[in-house]
This record gives sequence, structure tokens and C-alpha cells, in this order.
Amino acid sequence: MKKKNFFLCYPVFTIFAVLALMIILAAVFAPVICGDSDPTKGRITDAIMEPSAEHIFGTDKMGRDIFTRVIYGARTSLTATFILVGIIFVLGTVLGIISGYFGGIIDAVIMRIADMMISFPGLVLAIAVAGILGASIPNAVIAISVVSWPKYARLARSMVLRIRHADFVEAAVVTGSKTPYILFRYMLPNVLPIMAITAATDIGGMMMELAALSFLGFGAVPPSPEWGQMLNDGRNFIQSAPWMTIFPGLAIFVTVVVFNMLGDSLRDILDPKDKAR
Amino acid sequence: MKTTGKKTTALIIGALMTAAMISGCGNGNTASTTTAANNTPADTKAADNGTTTAADEPAATASTEEKTLTFGCQMYSDGLINPASQTNTAWNCMRFGVAEALFKFNDNMEVEPWLAESYTVSDDHLTWTIKIRDGIRFSNGTPLTATKVKESLDYVREKGPDGSASPQKYLEFEAEVTADDAANTIVIKTVTPYVNLAGNLAYPVMEIVDYSETTDPDTAMIGTGPYKVKEFHDQVGFDMVKNETYWNGTVPYDNVKILFMGDASAKANALKAGQVDLVENITNVADLKSLQEDSNYTVDIASGVRCGFSWLNQGGVLANDTLRQAIVMAIDGETICKSNTIGGLYTAGFSVLPSTLSYGYDKLTNPYAFNAEGAKKLLDDAGIVDTDGNGIRELDGKDINLTYVSYENRMLNDFSDAHTMYLTDLGLGITARYGSSDDQWNSLVAGDYDINNNNWTTVGTGDPTEYLANWYSKGGADYCSYKNDEYDTLYEQLKAENDNAKRTEIIQKLQQILVNDAVAIIDGYYNSSMAYSKNVGHAHIHTADYYWITTEITPAS
Repeated sequence: MKKKNFFLCYPVFTIFAVLALMIILAAVFAPVICGDSDPTKGRITDAIMEPSAEHIFGTDKMGRDIFTRVIYGARTSLTATFILVGIIFVLGTVLGIISGYFGGIIDAVIMRIADMMISFPGLVLAIAVAGILGASIPNAVIAISVVSWPKYARLARSMVLRIRHADFVEAAVVTGSKTPYILFRYMLPNVLPIMAITAATDIGGMMMELAALSFLGFGAVPPSPEWGQMLNDGRNFIQSAPWMTIFPGLAIFVTVVVFNMLGDSLRDILDPKDKAR
Repeated sequence: MKTTGKKTTALIIGALMTAAMISGCGNGNTASTTTAANNTPADTKAADNGTTTAADEPAATASTEEKTLTFGCQMYSDGLINPASQTNTAWNCMRFGVAEALFKFNDNMEVEPWLAESYTVSDDHLTWTIKIRDGIRFSNGTPLTATKVKESLDYVREKGPDGSASPQKYLEFEAEVTADDAANTIVIKTVTPYVNLAGNLAYPVMEIVDYSETTDPDTAMIGTGPYKVKEFHDQVGFDMVKNETYWNGTVPYDNVKILFMGDASAKANALKAGQVDLVENITNVADLKSLQEDSNYTVDIASGVRCGFSWLNQGGVLANDTLRQAIVMAIDGETICKSNTIGGLYTAGFSVLPSTLSYGYDKLTNPYAFNAEGAKKLLDDAGIVDTDGNGIRELDGKDINLTYVSYENRMLNDFSDAHTMYLTDLGLGITARYGSSDDQWNSLVAGDYDINNNNWTTVGTGDPTEYLANWYSKGGADYCSYKNDEYDTLYEQLKAENDNAKRTEIIQKLQQILVNDAVAIIDGYYNSSMAYSKNVGHAHIHTADYYWITTEITPAS
């Protein structure tokens, strides 16, 4: 029988993958989409203008074009989110594998630190960290990384513990395989699929947390365009100039939904249990 | 696949529900019933905004018997009213109509007698004799005698050091107050001469209260004002009742309900929803405009005595005179103040003292009036140019990157954002560092900034001497490392001068020096406002920010 095309097999995944790609392309080609409109420059005389042919999403308090800022905002949000997810994915996985494989005091130290981080509500601790470091996107990424890695570490650790004493691992030890080899050859491949799915489903959530920090003034610094910060800017005008909050809000909503659905459909594809159903 | 399908359905339902909720909000004003609407006249709109914790309280009405005013205001220092505790609590006590002072400011910021009838001062300005009005009683019925005034002035100075009200700024600790009950006068003997002690005694911290019979000074202070505290609701507000023994005319309301509202929009929404009759200082232009355009509401705006300005720190790169001049010249304050963002909340100007005060603003000249091209030319001519093509000019081989400190109060961040746009155009790099008012203040005192935006009361005691010390290099309040010997000499003359005409002349010269030296970016002069519904016949916001609830506020007939 002729093998069916992968993308046709998984239409939901395909749709959201295409949408995600479109968002990424919009971010990459922001200067092409927006022409010579600058997201940080405006004319104060054009402040708070409702959507029109000239400014299709209207203008903000500084007379800047909101469409331009929303498109350029995708750059900030996506870059920061991917870096953030990358950091917690790598850091959490590495620490989790080490913790699970070696056990003993190393495990105790890493896991107790993780417990400490988990014992606080995530965003509250992130606000504290970002508050100490000062407002900026890199600091916001650090702050959320600090509170989010334990989830990955604990997951990776539990996966490793499941196979730590499996026969093939013991066999590798007995036959004299070096520890780094075992870690890379046996441990990592066993945890990677689950970790990757977790990371993919986390993109949306992380994007929300970054936007939340910016909304509260602990992330992006004006005048750089960032969706959370734009929401905050428009907060006081929600009744008189709703376009200032609707469009950045919609951007966050659409992007988070697309990446969440993408992560979900990826899990459906990769998770063997789900397939069996 | 199946799960994803379910999720998609859930998502669509969620989106629809959100859309429905949003459209519901939009039509909120026409919704028909809530508890708040039960007692309101037909023209008030139903409340679905949920803006305050006391939202379900019925609003004031011109009901058959008791007249009640509901007043929405910002909560400062938990709304407490002990004058000896903090500056804000002293302000609250006077603003809520609980206490009055010996003197008060009129709308030209001139001092007038209030509880005092008249005063005389010795030639050396060391002995002040103040005659107290006869027949005044505190709200608990105790007569206001000279001894009571002395006790009040002594108490605030005795207890002041425990808090942050700093009463010694208005009347020194060494000053001796003696009372003569028979003549109903007090004599204040000071060690240092005061130019205008009456103005100092008009400051809220020096208001006259009856500490001895007050059960709880923080929430139940007793004064001579038109209203007295009936009940305090923590974080919610006050229930006030008419002071039956009030000395100065009739008290128009039987009850005044004060409700604390944190958010700028909350006040406007509460007013529109009929939950309150009167609100102070709507700081959101959009809300202010919508009220001004609606014939159901009246907005009273007073040209205030607050000046918003950004310090230019001369302890860093801004020590360069040309750079500062160009910065001041590059910013179009007039356009910013008239924009949709700032609206009418600020009046533009170029001096550190508001144009409405009588310190010769009209006679000042501004060599750095807005001229974007002129500013660029100034820098070009001085060799401050961008040589490496990164869009940022260099000074001494280094990019000019300025740190702009600001905080969210009275639209300061909006001004800072607008200034940043103009300065980026000029070719300067700006890094925004916006935080809390504490962050702003700490960075100002530490000199850890290039540009620092804030908003000051210029004539708190009816005179700008204290405020002008901000640029006096020997006073310890010169937070921008500015030093000009001519300014210092003139300032010392001002401190020693008692003649008002001469003082005005000196103050005008001081202003001109500061303008010439481009010491600050002036945001503008902040205007105070009060807005009220048809339930209120008349209300007025004063130039001095100390008087909110007064007998001038009357119910609609």
C-alpha cells in the first residue's frame, strides 16, 4: 500500500504548523510588511487615533502605528519565548538526567533546589527575580527560567529513574561503557521525546508569562514594541480607545493558541499511548 | 486527534463567550438594574463596572430629608487623618473637611486668615501675634481657645519626629507658642526669622485639631471643619456627618460618604454609574474628555501649582552646556501638552515656576524655545555629531546614551516617552528606566540618572523659596549637581529678604538664570480637576490641593 503523506495524515498538526510558520515569517519579514513605518517612532500630534486607512490598527499614546508595533512585537515575543524555552529545556533536562542517573547527594541537592523553586507560585517568584534584576527582556527571560526549569528537571529525572536499573543499562555498565557515553547513548534518547513534547506545549504558556511580566512593567522597556507592554499602555484607554488593547491582546491570543495547539497535536503524533486509543 | 478536536471546539466556545462578555461590557451603561441604581434618579446609569469595594452602596440622592454627598477619591496613606503622622495624613484631614488651619490659600495662592482673624509681626520677623476668631467650636463642642491652638501646634511638633510629617519645616522646634485666652491670641516667638509664617501655618500639617479628646487620632481626629468622622472603613472610606457646631455658615450636606478609589478610570466609571456624585482629579485624559463632552457632568479645572519637570543631571554627560541646551530646544512641550495623550491636564511652559503664579513669568525670555532643526544645528556646530553612523551622536568619542528615570504618576511616563521620541530624533540614545516613585526618588538622591522626571508642588506654603533650593548648590537639595554662583548669591538674598516686591523680583531673576542654564526639561504645569454629576449643584477644585470637601460643595436644588 502506498504510504500516505505525513501532513495529510495529521491535518490538525499541519494547519497549526502552517499558522505558526506564518507568525514566524511575519516576525522575520516585519520590515517588508510594515514598509518604512518605525515601531518606536510616532508623531505626538497623531496620538490615540482610531483605526483608519492610514493606521489600520489605529495609533497609541505616542502616535505610533499599532499595526507596526504588533508585527514588530512578534519579533520580541517569539525570540524571547524560544530562547526561554530553549534555556529551560536544556537546563532542566541536563540537571534532571544528572540527578536521576547519579542519585545520592547530587540528586538530593538538585532536587531540593528544585523543590524550593516550586514551592513559590511561579509568576510571583519571577516578579521578585525580575524586580531585583531590573526591567528588561533578557532579565525577564532569566527570571522565568529560574522558576521554570524544575518542571523539566523533575520530568527528566523520573524518566531516567525508570530505566536507571534496566538490564541494558546494567549491561552497559558491566561491559565498561564510560558514564558520558551511557548518558548520551541511553539516557538522553529515552527522555528526549517527552521533553520535546513538554517544551512544545510550553511555548504558549511561556509567551503568556513573558507578556505578563512586561504588562506589569518587569519586562520590555519602552519604547520597544512588546505585546504585554502595549496592553498595559492601553489599559487606561480600554473604554475610550479599545483598539490600543484589542490588537496586542488579539496578537497574544492568536499566537498562544496556535503554539498551544501545535504542541498538543505534536503530542498526539508522538505519544504512543494516545495512538493506541 | 480526538482530544485535539475537543480542544478546538472548547476553544471556539471560549472565544464566543469572551466576545459575548466584551460586547456586554460595551453596552453596560444601558443595562437596567443593579442595587446601585435602586435609589438613583432616572438619569443615572446602572452600575456594572464593579469599580470599588463599596460598589453596592446606594448613591447620594436629593432625597426628602437627609442630604448625602458621595465622594470618590484617591487613597493616600491608607486614608488616615492624623496630621502629626505623615504629610499625606495631614492632607487627608484637611481635604476631607475635618480640620482647618489658622490661615488658608486663596486661588492666587495668597494667604488669608481662616481660624485666625488677623495677625501682626514684629519688624525683625521673630514675633508673630495671631488673633483667633471668637465663637469657634470643635466638632465635639469644645470651644477653640488660644490654649487649644497652642496645644495643637505643640503636639504636632512633639509627635512629629515619630512620623514623617516634618512639622519643623513649617514651624521650628525652638519656636515658643504662648496663649492668652482672655484676648484670644497666641504669640509665636521664633529663633530664626520667618518671611511668611502665616503661609507655613496654612500648610495642612499645621492644621488645628483637638488631640486631647480624640479617641483614635488616625481615624477619628477632631477638628473645626464642616464635617466630622462618624465611621472609618479600612481601605474603603469614611462616613462623615455634618458638624452641628460649624462656625462658618451653613453646612450643605447632612452626610458625606468618602470612597477610596485606586484606579484613575475607576473614579470616572463610578461617577458615570451613579455610585458617586463627585470625584477629584481624574488623571486619565480619555475619561476626563468623555465627562467634559457629556452634559450630565460638570468638570471644574484649576490651574495647579505643580510643575512636572525632568532633572538634567550635570554630574554626568549632561554637564555639557550645549547638549543640555539642545535637549531643551528639541522638545515641543506645547504640542505634547495639547496632544490627545496629555489633553488639558497640563499647561505648557518653560520655567520651573508655573505661569499662573505672580512671579514674573511673562517677563522671562526663553532662548531655547522649540526648534528641532536649531537643536540639531547647535550640536553639529559644537562637534557633537554621529561619526560612526549608528544614529547616535558622540561626545568625547563615546555614544551619548542617556538613562531616563521616570514613574507612573500624573502622566510622567507619557511625558518621558514623548521626550524620548524627540531626543531620539535629535540623535541621542535613551534608555528608559521606569519604576516606582521610590525608585525614582532614590535614583534622584543618589545622582544615578541622566534625566529624571517628577512632579513637584512649587508653592506648598504659598512661597517658592523651599522649591527653588533644588538648584541652590549649598542647600543639600541640589540633586542635579547644578552650580551657578550668581544663582547661589541671589538665593541667599531671597532667604534674607522680607519685602514681598523685592522677593518677587529676585524670584524672577532666579527663574531666568535657570532657563538660561537649561537646567531641566519642563513637562508643564499640572491642572487639578473635580467632576460631578447632576446631583451636585456646585463644586470647586482649588489651586492649592489641600481643600476638597468644603461648604462650597452644595446639593442640586
